[in-house]
Amino acid sequence: MSDVLTATRVRKEFGGLLAVNDVDFTIPTGKIVSLIGPNGAGKTTFFNLLTGVYTPTAGRIDFDGHQVAGEPPHVITKLGVGRTFQNIRLFPQMTAKENVLVGMHARMNAGILGSIFGIPRVRREEREADKRARELLAYAGLRGRDHHLARNLPYGDQRRLEVARALATKPKLLLLDEPTAGMNPQETVTFMEFVSTLRDEQSLTILMIEHDMRVVMGISERVTVLDYGEKIAEGTPQEIQKDERVIEAYLGRGAGT
Amino acid sequence: MSAPRRGPSNERLERFARQWGLVLAVVALGFLYPTYVGWLKGLPLVGDYFPTVGSMVIMTVFTMMAVGLNIVVGYAGLLDLGYVAFYAAGAYTAAWLASQQFEQVTFHFGSVGVAPTLSGIHLSIWLVLLIAGLFTTIVGILIGLPTLRLRGDYLAIVTLGFGEIIPQFVRNGDNVGGFDLTHGTFGISPIDSPGFGSGLSSLGLPDNYRQSFEAERLFFYTALALLLVTVICSVRLRDSRLGRAWIAIREDETAAAAMGIPLMRTKTWAYALGAFFGGVAGAFYASFKSGAFPADFYFNISVFLLCMVILGGMGSVWGVVIGGMLLGYLNAEGLATIGSKLSSSTGIDFEPSKYQFGIYGLIIVVMMLFRPTGLVSERRRKLELEEGVHDEPLYASQRE
Amino acid sequence: MAARTEPDPGPAGLAARLPSPSSALGLLLVALVLAWLAVNFVKSPSNWTEVFLIGLTNGAVYGLVALGYTLVYGILQLINFAHGDLFALSGLVAFTILNSVLDIGSNPSTLVLIGGIVATLLITMTFFAGANALIELVAYRRLRNAPRLAPLITAVGVSFIIQNIGLAVYGVSFRSASDLVPHTNVFSIAGVSYQWNKLTVILVTVPILLLLTWFVTSTRQGKSMRATAQDREAAAMMGINVNRTISITFAVAGSLAAVAGLLFLLQFNMRYDTGFQLGLIAFTAAVLGGIGNLPGAVLGALVIGFIQAFNEGLSWHTPGSDWTQSIVFGILILILVFRPEGLLGERTAEGQ
Repeated sequence: MSDVLTATRVRKEFGGLLAVNDVDFTIPTGKIVSLIGPNGAGKTTFFNLLTGVYTPTAGRIDFDGHQVAGEPPHVITKLGVGRTFQNIRLFPQMTAKENVLVGMHARMNAGILGSIFGIPRVRREEREADKRARELLAYAGLRGRDHHLARNLPYGDQRRLEVARALATKPKLLLLDEPTAGMNPQETVTFMEFVSTLRDEQSLTILMIEHDMRVVMGISERVTVLDYGEKIAEGTPQEIQKDERVIEAYLGRGAGT
Repeated sequence: MSAPRRGPSNERLERFARQWGLVLAVVALGFLYPTYVGWLKGLPLVGDYFPTVGSMVIMTVFTMMAVGLNIVVGYAGLLDLGYVAFYAAGAYTAAWLASQQFEQVTFHFGSVGVAPTLSGIHLSIWLVLLIAGLFTTIVGILIGLPTLRLRGDYLAIVTLGFGEIIPQFVRNGDNVGGFDLTHGTFGISPIDSPGFGSGLSSLGLPDNYRQSFEAERLFFYTALALLLVTVICSVRLRDSRLGRAWIAIREDETAAAAMGIPLMRTKTWAYALGAFFGGVAGAFYASFKSGAFPADFYFNISVFLLCMVILGGMGSVWGVVIGGMLLGYLNAEGLATIGSKLSSSTGIDFEPSKYQFGIYGLIIVVMMLFRPTGLVSERRRKLELEEGVHDEPLYASQRE
Repeated sequence: MAARTEPDPGPAGLAARLPSPSSALGLLLVALVLAWLAVNFVKSPSNWTEVFLIGLTNGAVYGLVALGYTLVYGILQLINFAHGDLFALSGLVAFTILNSVLDIGSNPSTLVLIGGIVATLLITMTFFAGANALIELVAYRRLRNAPRLAPLITAVGVSFIIQNIGLAVYGVSFRSASDLVPHTNVFSIAGVSYQWNKLTVILVTVPILLLLTWFVTSTRQGKSMRATAQDREAAAMMGINVNRTISITFAVAGSLAAVAGLLFLLQFNMRYDTGFQLGLIAFTAAVLGGIGNLPGAVLGALVIGFIQAFNEGLSWHTPGSDWTQSIVFGILILILVFRPEGLLGERTAEGQ
């Protein structure tokens, strides 16, 4: 499949509010795609539709050959969609390592009796999970922070931890919701490099919601623009930059030249 | 803070001793209680405050239920206000399987202390404990099906409702389609006693608890053993994949689901496990008191257990054990003792045990306002243990 | 950690809502109940009408308590577990005021009776308004930003404390003033009779409800309450004193409970633990109507009042009073599972 995810005429209504309006959207495998648009355009709602937090009112979402519209979040995660959240949602009272270990839940098998009795298979699984968690933390630049409580980590580290945790779910598609929000320019650059390396080294496809145009222009290979729940433009970063409708959406009518 | 260099086996032994030394000491002290309680009670001034062995049995049973409730409330964060339903289910299972209630049949298997011709179902109490646990687990899963999909505060009210309905059913269960299931308000009594039968008496195992000279002691040792099993299961689960899933759900359900945790299934496991231990505790208690009576099952008990969990520390197993024993003591003996001492010394008629639920309510409010993590907080304990275990030196360890 | 920005998913939470064949089943259930009511009516219309009036009367009392639950839930998303116990305590206090303070005697003249009731109402309404606001200040305010279960657990504790205050002062015996208002008929038409002590309930409740409606819709405080209930942060930014608004909400709820307490005392008997069961009934009523929705609370309470009265008063294939609690609880579960927004509530953002 050349497209890891295909959304067809996806629509989401909340009572009288039309949040996502018949959007067609594909994500080519192995690419970094950005989803942009003014605030309230429906980007996070769309993410939530892709990850199963919301069920579409109409439309179809196919991921990796599976129909996923309406499936609960844990099923979609198990199929290979990992995500981070716009307002960081780590497990605050758990350590960094524990957060990552939770991410591995769907890839582990230990059951209730096995855990109580500590059978060799379960113990081995725990040891390996522990090792992998530490590796993921180191990979995300959090070496040595294993036992720090997530809520005590500095902001930038929390964002990285969220990515590490999402990676723990062994995703094929990684959804990042405003990953550089609140970062200073230096942190943003480092993060951009991290995302690029991620895509290359882990063979991932990445979809980002972003407001920071440096990130969008810098590493995206394709950009899709939403406004009022509709797709108004799609193309390379350079094409989008010059698109009149996009400029109008961000700056308002009569502002562009 | 790095450990001094020593040989690997010494280090491991030291780690083991540090972690488990205190625990083993406490457990040993607990098992030996019947031997030194006489000496304790003889002490001047404080002697009267030490609980009898009989009271200790009651305290241990309630603590076991509190540890079970802790799995539901403390780990998974599900506010269960109807735990008494599990207690009742376990007690009545024992009543059905170890008494003359079903006098229509005569079926014996491993029972002790009853003539083989006695009507009713009489299974070995050890078997009954297991069956009670499993039956209550099924009840828990059934209750959980409609309930666990609800959000936290509604879940609480609905579990409360079930906690009311089941005792009501028990009170009115003497005519279920013409069949006497629960013998109504009279309850079912007597219930058979635990024991190992005459076959194993050569090993020193008592053949019939109630007929033994040291009946209370035997019940106490068994209760303590059951509590220990509950605690061990609880601790092992907390550090397992399932335990992490529970805590993740407690902290942030949406994120937990996004990480691949199936919410309904995982919550049901917590509920089912809590039910299991509640059922076993209920069955054991019914055998101890030789009866299952509707008057023993009422909503306040659910809150009593909740108070133990909150006092001890939600999610902290040892905290809940401490909270459980403390409140169990107040309930079984402590408040009455304090009351009579105050009455005799001041001349005013104090009856703190009459207002015990007000006291538990006050404890809940005070703890929630000033120390919601409980007497022994979960995180601190974990960090303490891991500091001793972890190989690499930590940076400045982050404490609450 | 940053605060959540997603809309409140409502009682059903993230677990999947059940699909709409359940609506068909629900309608079928309602249709069956209506058919059963119709048969009963045909069999004995005068009894039916009397029972209906009883349901109306009881529903009014439940409504006052249900309003208390829904007001507090609307503004704090807190199920005030202790509300029922406040109601019970207020009834007991009203008893003391009527008998000991006002010394109203056992057969007062109409003027003394009305004066006594009004005076008692004023005293208890004021006292329990203050008491409820004080409870909020002491027990719940600190937990405003705590995880949602924390104030609920605290409310359970407060409930027990209030119950034990009642126990300490009034003991285990029941108190009643049901003979105070005469049981003579207001009217008796075609075999249907309605007594004065029941009409008193309506006579008190209707003005109170009107007063409440005026307060909530027309006064500045009422508008502040509604604004804070919709969006606390935005209300604060508009200059609304959120703390004071919440205190006032609790005060209103407390005074409503006091009214209900007196009315209940005039009908039945009560003691320190009466609030538990009645609280569950009133809470179910609030959920049935749509938690957070004021007219809904009254509507739900009337429905529950009717259901209870029909269950205990009709005779053709009637479950009977043993089953009332189970029926009410069954309604609660069905509503929460199948239609959590209740009859009048709005579907929240996650509603399908």
